[in-house]
Parts: sequence; C-alpha cells; structure tokens
Amino acid sequence: MKKKIEKQPLLRKTHLPLYLLGAVMALYGLVSALVWSISSSQAMRGLITAGQLRTRLANFESTGGLITGIVFFILFIWCAVNAKGGVRAAFIVGMLASFAPILAGRAETLLFDTLGLRLPAGSVIAGALSTIVFTLPMMIFFIILASSRRVPRGCRWLAFASIFIVLATAFFPIYVTVLAFLLKPGDPAVGRMLEVSSQVIKLRYLLPGLSLLFLAYISMRFLKEQLSAEAQNIPQEGGPK
Amino acid sequence: MKPSNGSMINQRLAALSLAVVLLLAACGGNNPPATSETTAPAADEFSGLNLVVPARYDPPIEMSSVITVDATVKFLGENDIHNNVWTRAYEQLLGIQVSYDWVVDVSMYDQKLGLSVNSGDIPDMFRVTPSQLLLYQEAGLLANLTAVYEAEASAITRDVLTQDPVALKAATIDGKLWGIPLTDASVANASVLWIRQDWMDELGIAAPTSMDDVLEISRRFTEEDPDGDGVDDTIGLCASKSLYGAIANVQGFFNGYHAYPGIWFERDGQVVYGSVQPEMRTALLALQEMYASGQLDPEFGVKDVNAINETIAQGKCGMEFGVWWNPYHPLNLSQQNDPTAFWSAFAIPSVDSTPAKSQYTTAIGSFLVIRNGYEHPEALIRMVNFWTDNLVGSQDEAVRSTFLGNIEAPDVVLYKYTPVLLWEPNAAIKAGNALREALARHDPSGLDLEAQWRYRIIQAYYEQGILEAWVEVATNGPNGSSAILMQVLEDRGLMNRFYGPPTPTMAGKMPTLQSMEEETIIKVIMGESIDLFDQFASDWYKLGGTDIVDEVNQWAANNP
Repeated sequence: MKKKIEKQPLLRKTHLPLYLLGAVMALYGLVSALVWSISSSQAMRGLITAGQLRTRLANFESTGGLITGIVFFILFIWCAVNAKGGVRAAFIVGMLASFAPILAGRAETLLFDTLGLRLPAGSVIAGALSTIVFTLPMMIFFIILASSRRVPRGCRWLAFASIFIVLATAFFPIYVTVLAFLLKPGDPAVGRMLEVSSQVIKLRYLLPGLSLLFLAYISMRFLKEQLSAEAQNIPQEGGPK
Repeated sequence: MKPSNGSMINQRLAALSLAVVLLLAACGGNNPPATSETTAPAADEFSGLNLVVPARYDPPIEMSSVITVDATVKFLGENDIHNNVWTRAYEQLLGIQVSYDWVVDVSMYDQKLGLSVNSGDIPDMFRVTPSQLLLYQEAGLLANLTAVYEAEASAITRDVLTQDPVALKAATIDGKLWGIPLTDASVANASVLWIRQDWMDELGIAAPTSMDDVLEISRRFTEEDPDGDGVDDTIGLCASKSLYGAIANVQGFFNGYHAYPGIWFERDGQVVYGSVQPEMRTALLALQEMYASGQLDPEFGVKDVNAINETIAQGKCGMEFGVWWNPYHPLNLSQQNDPTAFWSAFAIPSVDSTPAKSQYTTAIGSFLVIRNGYEHPEALIRMVNFWTDNLVGSQDEAVRSTFLGNIEAPDVVLYKYTPVLLWEPNAAIKAGNALREALARHDPSGLDLEAQWRYRIIQAYYEQGILEAWVEVATNGPNGSSAILMQVLEDRGLMNRFYGPPTPTMAGKMPTLQSMEEETIIKVIMGESIDLFDQFASDWYKLGGTDIVDEVNQWAANNP
C-alpha cells in the first residue's frame, strides 16, 4: 500500500526569512539592472566614457555584490534553520549561490590575475563563472523542492518552473555570446539574439527572487490553511484521514 | 572597407522604364543612348534584384581589358575570372561584353602592362599608376574622358569622386580628364593617438590635452607599473623603425609639434618638404629624451611592425600613434594577455595652443583609363556608375551579397572579379556617425545589416560587460576613432599637397634621400646629436632636394 506523505510548509515557524531572501534577491536584480541600464545608456550616448562606465560598474559590483552576498548568506542560513529535511538541504545548497554576487565584480581578477589563466574570450568566461556559481546551486535548490513530496503542490510546480527560468536567464546570454564572438561572428540572426540577451541578462536575479517570494507566499498560505484545518479538525491534502 | 548604401527604385516602374529604354535603343541602332538611368532588367541571374542600371547597349558592345588575381581570389562552382557574376552583369545588364586579354598576379601587373603597351597590344580599358597615366597620356594612347564623364557620371559617382578633393585633379592633365581614379579612404591614413585606457584608469590619469600630457603619460606608464605585475617592463610609447606606417608610427608624434615628415605642404606661398623643416628638431629632441629615459623600446631602431605587434600582444605598450582601424589589428592582440585591455583614441594633441593637424596622403594610387580610339569610352563611366549606384549608394543586402560576397562563403570575395573598384573615401566616417546616432537614440533600425551587427556588439559591451567587444566601441562607439576622422576632415588634418606622379628628379633621387632621412631620424632618436639632423637637412637640399622642391612647386603651380 502506497504510504501517504504529509505535506509541510517550507518553513516551520515564520516565512519572514524566505520573504526577505526573495525580496533582497529581486531587489538586487532590479537595482543591478537599473544601474547597468542607466550607466550603459549614458555611455552609449557618449555622456560618460567606456572607462568611466567600467569603473562605475566595478564599484557597484564589488561593494553592492559583497553586501548582497553576505545578506543572501545570512538569509539562506536563517531559512535553513527554520526548515527541515529535504527543504533544509535545499537551502544549504542554495547558500552557495551567495558567492555569486561577491564573485561578479571579482571573477576577472580571480581568473586572470590570481590564477594567471590566459584564455580567449576572457570576460565571457569570467561572466560564465559567476553565472554558474549562482545558477548551479539555485537550480539544485529548485530541483530538490520540486522533487520533494513533502513540499506543498503549488510550491513544487513553481519550483519546477523556476528551474527553467534560472536555466534560461543564466545560459541564454552565455550561449548567445559564444555564438556572437566565437562561432558565428557577423551573423545577423545572432545579432538580434544579442539584443534579446541584453534584456534577458537583467532578469538573472530578479526572476529567481520573485520565485522565492511566490514560494514563500504559497507556503505561508498552505500553513494557514493547514492550521485552520487543524483547528476545525478537517483532514488536509496528503495528511492522515 | 565596404561602401555604404542609398535608396532603391520600384521594380515595376523599373521594368516599364527598361522596356521603353530598350525600345528606344533598338530604334537608335548602336548609338549610345542618353544617360537616363533605369532599373533592373529581367536578366535571369539578376531579375530579383533592385538594381540601378545605366542604359544598356543593344546590341552588346565588346570591351577588352586586363585584370589581376592573387591567392585570395577564389571562385565558387563553374565561375572563373572570365565568367563570373561581374562579367555576366556587365554583359546582361549593361550590354558590355568584357573579356580579359591576360590575367596576372598583382606583383606582375605593371611589367605585363608595359610589355603589352610597348607591343601595341593595348586593352580597351585598363588600370594605370599616376606615372603610367602621365606617360601614356603624353604618348597619345589614352582617350579623353572629360565629355563622357560630364555626360554620363551619376550623382553618386560624382559624390564619391569628389569626397577626396584631389581624386579628379590627379586624373586631370592640361584641364582634361584622362582616367577615373580608383578611390579609397584617404583620410583613413591620418594618425590618431591610441592610449591604454585601462592603464590610465588604473593610474588615475586624465585624457591628454597637450603633447606635454602625452610625455607625462608616457613617463608614468614607464615608471609606475600600470600593468601591476611588479616588473619594470612597460613602454610608454611604441614606435616602429618604419617611422611612417599605419602602426606605431612617429609621424603622429611629429604632427603634435606641427612637423609633417614625408609630405609636402604650403608655407609662405611655397610648397615645402616637411622632413627638413625646423619643427622637426623640437619633436626629435623630445623623442630622444623619451628614448634615453626608457619610454621608447630600447630596440626601437630594429623593431619592425611584426615585432611591435608582439610587444602589444605582450601587454607592454601603453601608447602608439596609429590609424583609426588599429583596434582591429594589432591592438586587439593586447587582450591575449590581458582580457581587460582597452585602448582609447584621441585626436593628436598639440605642443602649443594651435591645434595639431594629422597629416595624410591621398589614397588615389591608380586610375582606370580607356584606349584612345575605343568606340565607347562612356562604357567605363557606366561600369563605374553600376558600382557606385548599387554598392555605394545602396543598402540592399541582396545586391551586396550578389556582388560583394556574403557570410555563407566569407573566403569568396566577389568584388575582386572586377577592375572597377571605387571605395567611398568617407565611408568610415559616415558609418561611424550613423552608428553613433543609432546608439544615442537606442535604435538600430535605420542601419544596414553590417552596421546593425556592429551596433549590437557595442551594445553587448555596454549592457552585458563583454570586454571582447571593445574593438567596435573604440572605433565606432561614442568618442570612437572614426569620429576623430571627421575632425581631421574638417580642420584637424593636413593633406599631402603633392599628389602627382614623381617628378624627374624625385624619381631618381627621392629613394636615396628617404633612406637618408629615416636613418637620420632613427639615429637622433637613439642618442646621436641633433646636429646630425641639421646636417641631413642641409645635405637633403644639396643632394637633389633643391631641384625636387623646384619641380614640385612648378607642378603645384600647374595643379592649384
């Protein structure tokens, strides 16, 4: 006889850390996209030089990235403490994504100055490194949630969708860049993809952040329903009847 | 460099117009029809293209010519130099059956042409150098093109040929036009100053506004380890022993001191030779000091361009005077060892309050001419019109793919199959301006496909931080080097006043004088007394310079 598994909310006592994590991630994505958009727009109009643009972005990424990375780390820990079982494991894996914003402004220095690597398309590889450091843990995080039978159904579906969101926003720009600079330089079709990838790249933190916010919302609603059902002594989905 | 493009004409109207023209042509026998243009006839290979086609000869006429090929000329399928898209277009669209009497490697062309002409076997249409133009015109071998040019040249042809102010003048002898100059980007050989922007940012250095700033940047690049490797191995200014080339030249440095080596310019009503003017001394002394303090490569005197490229690739070079396209080569090499390398272009700064001018020489090196006695000299103008109207004045990608080449077969460069090649002199400036305008309004829709690609590469640099895209940013982005060419064209350039064939004394003595000049400059920079330069200037006049100056001034009087 198939054993019924009781569904549990993602976090036990409070969903605040998950809300905060989602909000901080989305906010960092939004602010990062805005800083890049405003600065690049100024540079494209010749209001600031390419050097000034790079200095500004490097300052933002090194300072903002460091602060954001630390906040991510603390919030992931807080979430992990409030979770249990597979969900806790998911947050522990997700914690590794905290290093991505810290690495964003430092990947080139790390690869080419510290490690002394000499590779073609260096900035693409450096960008890919920090992307993978964010994407891989987040993808595993969402895979664990999507495959965990204790997680409420709405959260599982959202986690499942988020896997593809994370994959698309991370790897589409890398794929297009490799096409444009290494495999098919000059191809007009790739040129149009480059323009799309310029927009997609801005969603890299924003969309996973929004996913976390929705996860927190669904999980909290589930918790409320569960509590309410318990109060009325009504059997819940997947619970003992 | 490819030509830029213009507008298209409706195809249905074209077919109708063509029918009328063909009818008139048939009634008029073999007489050349009026110069009114029409559009695409229904020739199979070209029927789907929006082409601007000059009036067609009916029945077709024959034109013998000669052409060069080299290892880079490749053909697809059944095509060869005698039967290709260009020969078929000339025949089917213009009614000109072009046949090549002989085909040789570029290096053999002048010799083979000389033999042909001497044996009386002169092609109907062929390419000549300025010296050959003068020689054959004086021998009465060339057709006067003045009238046919006036009657037949299209508006775009006239525009292309007047963008270079000396193009038509160079083909004119005794007030008559004897050839069609094969134009190219003359202003493109004007020097700009390239500086490692990432090193400037690292050291907190502002953009140079004077030659003093250039010297200071050079000093700091040499002494303050801008590459941060802890080794004293950087060079402030890279210079090649070639002195006046497109890469790591010293002429740009001299220009900052209002000295113009290697070219002729007007001073006090006389045309003078720049290399022997007093301004050279100041610049030479500055370079000598830089060399002595390690700001120039210690091996400068033996380093050719290939060696300079290696220095740039190694990330040891901080500045160079070069041309606008240097980021495509060799400055792109600097990213091999440093992915963050970025070079910025600057107009040549001045040593004083008078703005410096970049010297440049016309790119007109050859002309298309018609044999005297050929029945249809206007055919050449129609072939030129066909090129300019469709490939300079058109944005049509299908036309460009058909006649220039396309991305599917990048090795097959179709325009090499025709001797009629006129590049738009200001193409780089126009293309750069169009890109910068598109960038400023964030809208690439008005650009052709190639420019749209460049736009997106620049956008990738700014919006995605892809540093490999810096090459396009440095050339066509805001403040890019092509913008400096515009300044050169307006009031920051000095064009070589002498654009004629070598004068008699020049032909005999200039090579020796030039060797002496280069040797002297290198020796003085590497530490010999400045007196050596004074001695050179004095000797230059004694060893034939005086006669050359007289001849050039005489030429200038005849070619105002």
